[in-house]
Amino acid sequence: MIKYIAKRLVMLIPVILVTSFLIYWAMSLTGGDPALMIAGDNAKPEQIEQIREELGLNDPFLVQYLNYMKGMLTGDMGKSYVTNKDVFKTFMERLPNTLMLGGAAVLIAVIVSLPLGIYTAIHQNTWKDTAGMIFALFGTSMPNFWLGLMLILIFSLYLGLLPTGGKTGPTSIILPAVTVGFGLAALITRTTRSSMLDVLRQDYMTTARAKGCSEKQVIFRHGLKNALIPIITAIGLQMSLVITGSVLAETVFSWPGIGRLVYDSITKRDTPMVTGSIIMCSILMCIINLVVDLIYAFFDPRIKAQYSKKG
Amino acid sequence: MAEQELVLKIKDLVVHYETDDADVHAVNGIDISIGKKRTLGLVGETGAGKTTTALSILNLVPNPPGVIKQGEIYLDGMNVLEMSSEELQKMRGNEVAMIFQDPMTALNPVMTVGDQIAESIELHQHISKKDAFEKAKEMLKMVGIAETRATDYPHQFSGGMKQRVVIAIALTCNPKLLIADEPTTALDVTIQAQVLELMKELISQKEMSMLLITHDLGVVAEVCEDVAVMYAGRIVEKGTADDVFNHMRHPYTEGLFESLPNLKERGEMLVPIQGLMPDPSELPPGCAFSPRCPYATEACSQQIPKLESVEGSETHFVACRAYEDPKFTLGRNRNGQ
Repeated sequence: MIKYIAKRLVMLIPVILVTSFLIYWAMSLTGGDPALMIAGDNAKPEQIEQIREELGLNDPFLVQYLNYMKGMLTGDMGKSYVTNKDVFKTFMERLPNTLMLGGAAVLIAVIVSLPLGIYTAIHQNTWKDTAGMIFALFGTSMPNFWLGLMLILIFSLYLGLLPTGGKTGPTSIILPAVTVGFGLAALITRTTRSSMLDVLRQDYMTTARAKGCSEKQVIFRHGLKNALIPIITAIGLQMSLVITGSVLAETVFSWPGIGRLVYDSITKRDTPMVTGSIIMCSILMCIINLVVDLIYAFFDPRIKAQYSKKG
Repeated sequence: MAEQELVLKIKDLVVHYETDDADVHAVNGIDISIGKKRTLGLVGETGAGKTTTALSILNLVPNPPGVIKQGEIYLDGMNVLEMSSEELQKMRGNEVAMIFQDPMTALNPVMTVGDQIAESIELHQHISKKDAFEKAKEMLKMVGIAETRATDYPHQFSGGMKQRVVIAIALTCNPKLLIADEPTTALDVTIQAQVLELMKELISQKEMSMLLITHDLGVVAEVCEDVAVMYAGRIVEKGTADDVFNHMRHPYTEGLFESLPNLKERGEMLVPIQGLMPDPSELPPGCAFSPRCPYATEACSQQIPKLESVEGSETHFVACRAYEDPKFTLGRNRNGQ
């Protein structure tokens, strides 16, 4: 098991190499001159040239990239062109906010969708099932930002119960978390339902009933644990999306997270900030995937056996 | 056989599977009963309604689409179909236990086998988890599996071993009636004999009755005292093993025996029953076997034959209109008797 984890962590190295190169390259293709941005509108050509020289912007692309990676090796991700702050530090300052928002969103989603998914599966093809699925369809098809705006309108402007945005107090996380969590809940509900439907048809469920288990025991003790694997996969996939992709929700609610950081940096041609953040995000994704895989092993002994066999 | 000695009595059971496309008549009014410490073999080909009958006894026919339309099922005088869900839970696994056809899928893959056996004990005997697990280990030993394997998961066992675990789960609460639904069909032939031997031994040791569902006449001959032959949801012939094996009366029973390979005359062609079993959503009128029956007459397709005693016997019954002609005998019986 430990060997397996170590192996997965070593796999991070090629991931970092490939993503860093792709991002660095993409940023060089976007055009625009960071030196111009830094120097401001009234700068003289000599000043701009000087900044270009300092930042190494006149070097060929590959030299720039290799210099950047040399820094990475020593743990230095460079400094932001815009704020001149350390990239790694800035990222780490924002990370807890995004983790908090993502965690809260997933929590809300799971609390709503697991029971709903199980309920609709048990009552398949009845009006209860249909109602649940309409809710799920609504959730998947409603744009995130629109839901966010509507929530602000109702709860902040009309009712005045919750802040419109920013990170001002413990209540300020509620609206963004509900916004992100709602779409998630829809997806997890659908996965739970289909996974549960599959499990309900299995022979071991009949065995459990024939043993004298009550319907509740059959579903929760025998069914749910078997149904969980696809559900965990769905949650894991969404978790990485939530953390790296909640740009819209973070923008609507001015939530100071990574999504907004990356968005702002791209608009300002802040190459070190963008590259650094995205590399960190891909590392984060890999770690989340690893954690999800380890959770599988906890729920399914067959997967656990596989891990220890392969080492 | 006197009523009070019966462990199971099924009266006129009718089960349909109702879907939007069709109304499948799986079981069409069967009567069977099993005496104390007796083993009844329920024989028939795939789709004859054997498993549906078995599930009905536990009131476990999947609903929807399965609907028990009519009938009574008595276990020790109590009608299963009128039990509350609490009563059903108390009965299942405790008074009647079931062994399923495919041991590969009958066990929960994410629970240790020890826990799966112990669960039954906990449910019915209300003892602590720890004691139940100890008892589960004893059960494993009884079915020939080392106690140390109680903490293993089903995927760590072979098919035969899994079926032993399933048997352990079924027998752990000493049920009065064991329903075994093709318990050896999914196993290798060599393992089949072992598992059958084990079941036979445990049943006589624990003084249980058994309903053995199978399409394997060899298994019936090995284990059963009584036999009921089922075709398209009806019992076509029933009697003691001697009645049915040595004095068979129904053309379908004859067909089943004719289609067995003969070891003494190897190389001979097999004699299958012509045609296929009718679609249970569109059963033919009259005797369902008549379209395939070599002896069928006009009369056969007009009225469904009733189970009637063979020559006044108290045990042997057959549902075939050919016997309205007193001179009629099956081809197989003509030379021998």
